[in-house]
Amino acid sequence: MLEFFALLQTVLSFLVVLTLKLLVFVAIASMALAALFVFFRRLKNPSGSEFELREIGEPFLFFFSKLASVVFVTFGVVTLVFFILHWAGGDPTVYMLGEFAKPADIELLRESFGLNLPLEQQYFKYIRDVLNFDFGVSYHSKKAVITLITERLPATIELAIAGLFVALLIAIPLGMVAAVNKDTAADHGAMFFSLLGVSMPNFWLGPILILFFSLGLGWFPVSGREGFASLVLPAFTLGTALAAILSRMLRSSLLETLNEDYIRTAKAKGLHPFVIVAKHAMRNALLPVLTLLGLQLGALLGGAVITETVFSWPGVGKLTIDSILSRDYPVVQASILLISVIYVVVNLATDMIYALVDPRVRLGGRPKQ
Amino acid sequence: MLEKYLKLLLIISIIIISSCNEGEFDGIRFGLAYAPQNLDPRFSTDASSTRLIRLMYRPLVDFDNQQMPAPALARWERLSPTHYRFVLAAAGRRFHNGMTLTAEDVKATYDSVLDRKNASPHRSSVALIESIEVSGQDTVDFKLRKADPAFPGYLVIGIIPKALIDQGHDFSASPVGSGPFRFKSGFVDGKLTLERIRDKKIFEFIHVTNANTRVLKLLKGEIDIIQNNLPYELTQYLESKKNIKVMHRNGSNFTYLSFNMRHDALKDKRVRLAIVHAIDRERIVKYMFGAKTRLAAAIFTPDHWAGDPQLKSYDYDPQKSKALLAEMGYTKANPLRLVYKTTNVPFRVRIATILQHQLKEVGIDVKLRTYEWATFYDDIKKGNFHLYSLSWVAVKSPDIFRYVYHSSSIPGSGGKNANVGANRNAFIDRLVDEYIEKAENTYDIKQRIHYYQKIHKRLIETIPVMPLWYEEHMAAMRKNIHHYQISYDGSLDSLINVTKSPK
Amino acid sequence: MKTWFSISILLLWMLMAVVGPLLPLQPDEVDLSRKMQGPSAQALLGSDDLGRPLLHRLVYGAQTSFFVSFFVVGISVILGTFIGAVSGYFSGVIDLVITRIIDIFLAFPGILLVIALAGLLGPGIENVIIAMSCVGWVGFARLARAQTLSLVSRDHVQAAIALGSRPFTIILKHIIPLISAPLIVEATFGIAAVIIAEAGLSFLGLGVQPPSASWGSMIRDGTAYMLVSSHIVIVPGVTLMLVVLSVNLLGDRLRDWFDVRTRLKN
Repeated sequence: MLEFFALLQTVLSFLVVLTLKLLVFVAIASMALAALFVFFRRLKNPSGSEFELREIGEPFLFFFSKLASVVFVTFGVVTLVFFILHWAGGDPTVYMLGEFAKPADIELLRESFGLNLPLEQQYFKYIRDVLNFDFGVSYHSKKAVITLITERLPATIELAIAGLFVALLIAIPLGMVAAVNKDTAADHGAMFFSLLGVSMPNFWLGPILILFFSLGLGWFPVSGREGFASLVLPAFTLGTALAAILSRMLRSSLLETLNEDYIRTAKAKGLHPFVIVAKHAMRNALLPVLTLLGLQLGALLGGAVITETVFSWPGVGKLTIDSILSRDYPVVQASILLISVIYVVVNLATDMIYALVDPRVRLGGRPKQ
Repeated sequence: MLEKYLKLLLIISIIIISSCNEGEFDGIRFGLAYAPQNLDPRFSTDASSTRLIRLMYRPLVDFDNQQMPAPALARWERLSPTHYRFVLAAAGRRFHNGMTLTAEDVKATYDSVLDRKNASPHRSSVALIESIEVSGQDTVDFKLRKADPAFPGYLVIGIIPKALIDQGHDFSASPVGSGPFRFKSGFVDGKLTLERIRDKKIFEFIHVTNANTRVLKLLKGEIDIIQNNLPYELTQYLESKKNIKVMHRNGSNFTYLSFNMRHDALKDKRVRLAIVHAIDRERIVKYMFGAKTRLAAAIFTPDHWAGDPQLKSYDYDPQKSKALLAEMGYTKANPLRLVYKTTNVPFRVRIATILQHQLKEVGIDVKLRTYEWATFYDDIKKGNFHLYSLSWVAVKSPDIFRYVYHSSSIPGSGGKNANVGANRNAFIDRLVDEYIEKAENTYDIKQRIHYYQKIHKRLIETIPVMPLWYEEHMAAMRKNIHHYQISYDGSLDSLINVTKSPK
Repeated sequence: MKTWFSISILLLWMLMAVVGPLLPLQPDEVDLSRKMQGPSAQALLGSDDLGRPLLHRLVYGAQTSFFVSFFVVGISVILGTFIGAVSGYFSGVIDLVITRIIDIFLAFPGILLVIALAGLLGPGIENVIIAMSCVGWVGFARLARAQTLSLVSRDHVQAAIALGSRPFTIILKHIIPLISAPLIVEATFGIAAVIIAEAGLSFLGLGVQPPSASWGSMIRDGTAYMLVSSHIVIVPGVTLMLVVLSVNLLGDRLRDWFDVRTRLKN
């Protein structure tokens, strides 16, 4: 127990020092960004007035809070992953060497991986390396982790975008049909169809799609990543579950919008329901759908494991899981870090876009009262 | 809106159609269940890599049909118990980069494995080498720290060129060996391409984890050969397909059920006997395994040189089990309760469920616990189990006896020796220890076999583990693939002879 | 009509889940000679890959699957909604900290947490619920927060604030009822997702251990033999689908009901 507190103390003091350093860095970076922002703003509409330091205040706070939260989140994820990974037990060297492992070999490997150091020192070293953009070398393949991941990243992004695309392709028409024809056979049909997506797990849907469209009709290759045709089935497998959620969300938010006054006005004018939906209701109804999309991004990036497995798709998701199971620590840490950074950055970007698009939302991120 | 969708569909279908007319590929495609991790023979540890490495590199020593060490690149002479001389043969001496394999390359390869800086996982298997001396182009002498009759069998690492070692070449990214296959392109997008040097035939090794997908890919002709890692039902399914042929061969991987001898009940031999007689192995093999699966009596198959063809294992006799359990006072209200740990491989779980049910039939209450490998292995190494089952894979050399059954090999005794052996169920028997030691100290093969057979018999008497079966190897391939043979240990060596006739 | 259909399907399976253990069923009776047989008099829905009757396993599996999914979704919704609403209502530091924590959880792979928990707690249905709720509340929290943000500036909330109501009263009375519609839709999907995800957990060594059945693990196991004997996966698959459908239809009713109520209030 005493040891534990001692450990906690060292880790905490390390964290405090690190946080201070990072804060200074973030402050400098946001100062620069804010200055740039102000510069461009003045360039765009020269008001002619003298530059005042006060002007830089709001953008600085905005960038500072955003950057600080990016750092905080990635840092939190990295720390959490590090400790949970070591918590989870299982020894990477033993996993590698198998049942005939000789103690001398295990010792040598642990030493070369730095696993013989006390845990807090491994952690400090890891954080220091990450800050220097050094993600280490995979225990198993001896390849630089950064290479392993960048090799697979295009495949992952390709699949995520295609999956998203398929989901929207299915969800938008289904949601529209269902909302316009509320409580009719078309509504039920559309919703039933979308529900097929959630109730068929990917490990089942994937092989069925292969069976029909690849083996039966011969339209697409069974698996692998060669050309556009090979992307279709995995994208469908990945996209259907999301499509179900999106189309339901769209239906319910469309129904809500359809009750608003300006839609009633449009209806009174005798416009065709589809025109009303497409032209007027859609824009507002899509907002909650977009929130949901942001929410699902993490799932699409990291959670495509089953789809990647079924279709032998060489993506980051499967790499992450495989390395978790084989306790290939550097690969696990780096790939989770990557996924979380992408996630955080995308969310940051949506925040900024909101701030630009919606006049009510100021740089601070909250609507003006 | 609708129009947009139609346009989009049109575009998609055009792209699909245009991407369909690729040129016909006339090479051979092999489906791998596991991706190779590292193609450098000094560092690879996984089975998939080991099999591919055998195609691209040649070692000094290989094993014959009876699993005795046999000359590969070199033949050897024992000058003294600690001094071996290897003379390189004429064949297989050309590296893929054009250089000739010489004694210097042999020395450089093993020096590199022995170099602590490189942290090779195979280092301790050859750590008994004291020095390696080159005399001329073709001769290399190995001097040992201590005598070891099994020594030549350790020199199985593929030889790589000295010039490239010195340059720090990355052999995993681009392998250079002297084997019958040349490396063409790497494992990007799950595909490794090799060229058979003899006739420039292209071989692709494609990683397909999912068993259903692998079968579908074979049926569609996107791969030509698959081997193992398939549920038996899928093998049968493939047998019914007219353009597929399926092969079986008996295997040597020994599956066993281990009893923890530290456990209060299990250390009583009658309890172990009751379990052993309650398990109907024949029925399990009949329904769950291919025709070439054999019941096992010992860690070595009868056809291994250290095996025993006469050895008898246990019969299925549930009445005897029940009688034994009753004799020890176990009743319906107070049954024998045990926990059985297994890995989460679906097939293992399935077998475990059957075993659990059979044990329940005689009144033993078994709880199953499935874990992913790393957690499972941690537990059994620490002796944290009642029952577990696992297989010994690719066991060739009889030093396994000491590793698994000798009382000095109990792991977890603490400190530096925590991983010293695999006697995980803490089996201690004076006679077995004695036979193992005697066999280790003789160079006379006949004498060694004599002791091994004594060990086998003694293990059947004392029941530290229940031998289950040697699972068969299977391979399925398109009908136009010829000359493929399954090897004894599942290696892919016969790809050297495989041909593919046009459809 | 369809409401009654949904209710009767759900009630049927809940009843099965409750009385299942009292019925003379043999869900764990391995009989290799009947492996993968189609429907017959002894096994009305056929038998599985170890010759066990699928119908019996389905009844026993209902228990596990319902138990886990209701608990997980229940805990996640309650926890997530409350945290999300609090975060959305109070701006500033509280909101900042909560959203960052949510982000960490969203970016963090649940599977790693599960493996760690499996190692620490060992297998067991309670631990499945802990593990899945740990990951599950986050989605609801984010949704609830986003919805709350758009509500705070509305008149009735502002009026309540002006009247000096306590923040928690406002959150409970004026915010949560209004944001529940999308949350319910999300929750109805959560039920299906949890049933399937449980299969993944038992595969990793947490969750229901063989030979016990759960619908998710039945589907997962059946998938392995779908080329050979498709009924093994179709039986639990269709069952799950019907239940998911029913839950969703009921969710719709619930949504409409909430809708009407809020409209009446306005």
